[in-house]
Amino acid sequence: MDKILRIDMGAEGGPKVTTAPPGEYAGLGGRALTSAVVSKEVPPLCHPLGANNKLVIAPGLLSGTAAAMSGRLSVGCKSPLTGGIKEANAGGQAAQVLARLGYAAIILEGKPPADGLYKVLINKDGVKVIPDNSLCMLGNYDLVEKMKTEYGDKITCMSIGPAGEMKLPNSSVAITDMELRPTRHAGRGGVGAVMGAKGVKVIVLDDTGMKMRQPKDPEKFKDANKRFVDGLRKHPVTGEGLPAYGTNVLTNIINEAGAYPTKNFMWGRFDTCHKISGETQAETETARGGLATHGCHRGCVIRCSGTYMNKDGHYLTKQPEYETVWAFGGDCGIDDLDAIAMLDRLCDDYGLDTIEMGVTIAVAMDAGLAKFGDAEAAINLVKEVGKGTPLGRVLGSGAAIAGKVFGVERVPVVKNQALPAYDPRGVQGIGVTYATTPMGADHTAGYAITANILKVGGFVDPLKPQGQIELSRNLQIATAAIDSTGMCLFIAFALLDQPDTFQALLDIINAFYGLALTGDGVTDLGKTVLKMERDFNARAGFTKAQDRLPEFFTKESLQPHNITFMVKDEELDSLFNW
Amino acid sequence: MGKTGNRDSEGLNLSVSPEQVARFHPLMQEGFMVRAEVGCTIKTLLCDQFKVSPEYLETRVQTVFLNGKPVDDLESAEIPAGATLALSAAMPGLVGATLRRGGYYARMRSDITYRKEEAPGARGEGMVRIKLFNLLGPELAPTFLAKGVWLSSSRLREFLSQLPEEFWTQCQAIHLDGTTITATALRRVIWPDDSEPVRLSVTVGE
Repeated sequence: MDKILRIDMGAEGGPKVTTAPPGEYAGLGGRALTSAVVSKEVPPLCHPLGANNKLVIAPGLLSGTAAAMSGRLSVGCKSPLTGGIKEANAGGQAAQVLARLGYAAIILEGKPPADGLYKVLINKDGVKVIPDNSLCMLGNYDLVEKMKTEYGDKITCMSIGPAGEMKLPNSSVAITDMELRPTRHAGRGGVGAVMGAKGVKVIVLDDTGMKMRQPKDPEKFKDANKRFVDGLRKHPVTGEGLPAYGTNVLTNIINEAGAYPTKNFMWGRFDTCHKISGETQAETETARGGLATHGCHRGCVIRCSGTYMNKDGHYLTKQPEYETVWAFGGDCGIDDLDAIAMLDRLCDDYGLDTIEMGVTIAVAMDAGLAKFGDAEAAINLVKEVGKGTPLGRVLGSGAAIAGKVFGVERVPVVKNQALPAYDPRGVQGIGVTYATTPMGADHTAGYAITANILKVGGFVDPLKPQGQIELSRNLQIATAAIDSTGMCLFIAFALLDQPDTFQALLDIINAFYGLALTGDGVTDLGKTVLKMERDFNARAGFTKAQDRLPEFFTKESLQPHNITFMVKDEELDSLFNW
Repeated sequence: MGKTGNRDSEGLNLSVSPEQVARFHPLMQEGFMVRAEVGCTIKTLLCDQFKVSPEYLETRVQTVFLNGKPVDDLESAEIPAGATLALSAAMPGLVGATLRRGGYYARMRSDITYRKEEAPGARGEGMVRIKLFNLLGPELAPTFLAKGVWLSSSRLREFLSQLPEEFWTQCQAIHLDGTTITATALRRVIWPDDSEPVRLSVTVGE
């Protein structure tokens, strides 16, 4: 990863490709790199779909190596959804392949002077940018099939569906998985719309002839990786719960806690959630000949994914994630797993973020466009988005815009981004993260439960009244650091309980780069990333007024616990005082 | 027909092979009733009355809800009659970590955490609803099914009707209130109305 590829899509005479050493970005990866480029090179007041915005695609520091779990890809830009800085990340094969091809990042710049679509081919021989209007409005599944026909089945694709081409604020960048299916998405914040604005439909990667990246100290690296994998395999979450049931294992638990947002955040429990739980989903998948345990990229040892077959035993989609099952399930009042799997398939094909789409449909249901629980109506509404009808374009613009168009007061967004599957009234600490993260409401922004091991900001007594603010701060710092390594955030569960596994991760990084990084170094990296992101948002016009949950969370009591969100504004404003 | 009695022969007893126990797993996550001595702690209920090993409880049962409230201390939380007790292994995600009993991040859900009532609940016999989630369902199902669980008659009827023919051909024995009957006869049974739960027990053979 000794070079950065820049493609100026607006250059005179057609797209211009340049390759250069990372320079001032050397040593950065993943979110640290995307946020550094956006923060330094994108004018904060630019239009997200304009020539001055940039789309930065970066593998993590350990991507392309033999390190387990190192396949996360970061995609950054100024967000069309939030108006602030954005990093969305995804699994799939692209991070590993891009890193083996030697690229620390791809940066799409400028804007084509005329309409038209391009495909970008990257292999060991170099880069080609080719006009191809035959790809216009293809869904991601058909698009990938076409690329396979043209370039063979050794490729990896990063692409946009019709939503990205229409530049809808809820549009994703799809990444193909090990089976060359477009099932992994950098979903949040409308990154697909920025790729669409650059006129790029698909980036095809082929690492044939390239070798795995080699560590500076192979023996230490091998030993550390083995300890790391052993730690993941022996932990009950990463070694048993996630492989057996996937992330949807959370449905029953969050519902039992009364923090499962139901019917557009009206209640904290969904009575028939057992019909869509991870337990039921895994049983259904296995009974139909699918897989309940499967990795989304080579080198994954947790394997929290799977394959979901329809009633006839044919592939329908990958195993829907907890967030997807919730967004189209409990939040829309739908308890039909087959319908939810179909909605997941449609979102993957059109290139839509399932959280944003599900919450938008729930808001539309609250407005009376359909009844809660009507699965067929939900499917038809999402199909409107794929067809690009006026209604579909409203719905594809996200929950905040749909709420305004249809006159709904209860719109669960922060910085215009839809809240994920945990009600902040039930788990107030996560509400602090939703409100304050620079990304807009995002459960993964404060996900790295390694913060206590890192002792970010010194030891925090979680039983103190101020604990929630401090915990959220430290979680956000730790998450920003892990997002920069390209490691899957799910490793954090084993790191939380097993300090030796955390040390193994540090040893992997140190053995690969010849460093002597400590926990403090990781913390500093996380703080640096968050400072850059906060600074960008401030220059884009964000103030503390954007660091708030919607008013209804402080007014409407959540049942069954009968509570509102009670963290004070001044406490939220103190979060980034470090 | 036995309804809420406590004799081992009352209600429906199915003798099945170990492979067939998985058919009962959906009931574990939905929840079932058990008859128990209430007014005791969660640990006493599970370890003394249902013979869950203390080591298993300590290491495996990482997430516990009593009436929807996360519990941190199993040795002080008391179970009143009519309570719902949900048990889970350690869960992923920040919120999964937050809900773990006694976990570092427990503060983040302090507003819904279980707190012991000042007045202790009445001791005596009562019904408790149990839910077993994820890994604990398959692991603890044989224990609870052997002792007997109570389901609403409508749920039991629905559950039995959804079992495939193959299940009944492999089922080793069916007893209703201590009397051996056939699968065909079982289908003709007139169950009590929904207000009266029915006891289901499962004997796991070779």
